[in-house]
Amino acid sequence: MASYAKETFEFMKLALEQAKDALVNLEVPVGCVIVEDAEVIASGRNRTTETRNATRHAEMEAIDFLVEQWQKNGLSALEVSERFSKCILYVTCEPCIMCAAALSYLGIKEVYYGCGNDKFGGCGSILSLHTSCPELPSSELASSKKGFKCTGGIMASEAVSLLRSFYEQGNPNAPKPHRPLKPQV
Amino acid sequence: MKNTETISPQVCKIIHIPEKPSFLPHLQPTVNVLAAVIEPKDANTLVRKLNQIAPLENLRHVKRVLKKCIDGGKPQLSLLLCMAVENDGEVDHMPSEILELVKSYQLSTFITQVCKYAATSKEEWDEQCKLWPTSYHPPTYNISGITGFSEEESQSVFGFMRHTINLATSVGQVVNAAVIVDPSTKQVIASACDQVISSASLANEVSKEGSCSNYLENLKASNLENHQTSLLDSSVGEFKHITINVACVHPWRWALQSSGCGCPLRHAAIVAIEYSAARDLQLFPDHKTLSPLKRQKIESDFHSYQSLRPYLCTGYDIYLAWEPCAMCAMALVHQRVRRIFFSFPNPNAGALGSVHRLQGERSLNHHYAVFRVMLPEEVFRNKIAEAKISGSG
Ligand SMILES: [Zn+2]
Ligand SMILES: [Zn+2]
Repeated sequence: MASYAKETFEFMKLALEQAKDALVNLEVPVGCVIVEDAEVIASGRNRTTETRNATRHAEMEAIDFLVEQWQKNGLSALEVSERFSKCILYVTCEPCIMCAAALSYLGIKEVYYGCGNDKFGGCGSILSLHTSCPELPSSELASSKKGFKCTGGIMASEAVSLLRSFYEQGNPNAPKPHRPLKPQV
Repeated sequence: MKNTETISPQVCKIIHIPEKPSFLPHLQPTVNVLAAVIEPKDANTLVRKLNQIAPLENLRHVKRVLKKCIDGGKPQLSLLLCMAVENDGEVDHMPSEILELVKSYQLSTFITQVCKYAATSKEEWDEQCKLWPTSYHPPTYNISGITGFSEEESQSVFGFMRHTINLATSVGQVVNAAVIVDPSTKQVIASACDQVISSASLANEVSKEGSCSNYLENLKASNLENHQTSLLDSSVGEFKHITINVACVHPWRWALQSSGCGCPLRHAAIVAIEYSAARDLQLFPDHKTLSPLKRQKIESDFHSYQSLRPYLCTGYDIYLAWEPCAMCAMALVHQRVRRIFFSFPNPNAGALGSVHRLQGERSLNHHYAVFRVMLPEEVFRNKIAEAKISGSG
């Protein structure tokens, strides 16, 4: 296995903590953190069951938190874009096509993920939305497709075992009004 | 359709956008691959090694090994090594791990062709296997059950699309709009416009907007177009001025807005999904948030509660002015939308036929049917003119 900086594993551990929090709350256990200048500035985990919105993936939760913060602080669109271009995402599972597209739109710098996502993956498994697209006219460079560096397989077995235990306990994200109740966070 | 020869701009049409570009079975697109004849005793080892070092990422439907019976009935095995490098079949152009394998097993390589897309019918599959064996998975849903439109249903589709176009042009600027509909009751479940550009930026940009006449010409051309495979080939340039604020068409452009910051990912479809989820929560709250009395009531009505409550957007349709981008198209997979109707193709970033084709990605756990709805050109001419007047006023 390639050698990564120790901090890569430290940040992935934090993402795994988020995933565990999802599991406890009967959500698909995927979690993430967003890091800027070696500091965690946002974290997120799946909230699809709670919100009945199947797009509320960990990445979207963390991104929306950041955008809201930066808007509150009065950052311009250009400043928001500059901040994202310095951010690294650590996520326990390969971003799906939706999240990979979103990360490309935001112009994130880099992504580290745990296990691959062979059904929905947007960073190489099904589509490769992280690679930049040289055929596009370069006349509009600032507004054209941006790629990001993407590395998979970081603590993948931990990520997989969380997912496995979720699917073994049955998918509660199905229409069952009598699902067991968990204390609210 | 009575007579496609005399289509006028007055005619409304619903066109199915298939899971893959349509080809005759014997004219399916192919790609070049590098292969080699191997000893049958090495087959298992070599296939295992290759699946590790060079998995067939974009050719999952293609089998690794071709078995042929040559003279005397002796089987000959050919092994697919990897995709061939463009216009160059030389051995030193293959990945180094494969080169090592070729050397250690003393393989002599050759270039051959395999079918680029997975077969969607038995006929296609039979043709494919004449070239090189592939696997075939029959469709997971029955398209015929959801593509037949009665006259009444067509009128309803055109009506909702008109409503969607109105919405897309109602905010003083042309943006994308999304309307989620329950077709069984013809009820609007949720609707939204793009929320990517901040209102301050919108006001600034309206004055910079170019002429929309080119755009209308283009719309006219594409509405008159009746050849299915070329429907999505509109040129990007002509659409540029008018679509500049359509989030799905220019998803990377949010950072250039002149003042303030909207929400870069709040494309119309994403917002509409959020609204429909909020509606679901409001109409069918979780038990834990209910008063004990209400909870008792619901539990006694358990069966009607369960049959009424939708699971995500299962059974719902969504109308979009523009073909959605990859983010929105995948969001609609996640939310289990049944059918997608859009009016304008999105050659820049569209994910339902233009750049990607998510309805044809077999690995996804849900598949929707996709349709393009053609409306008479006047609908847009009036609406876009109105948008410009109210925007500059
Ligand atoms: Zn995702
Ligand atoms: Zn979009």
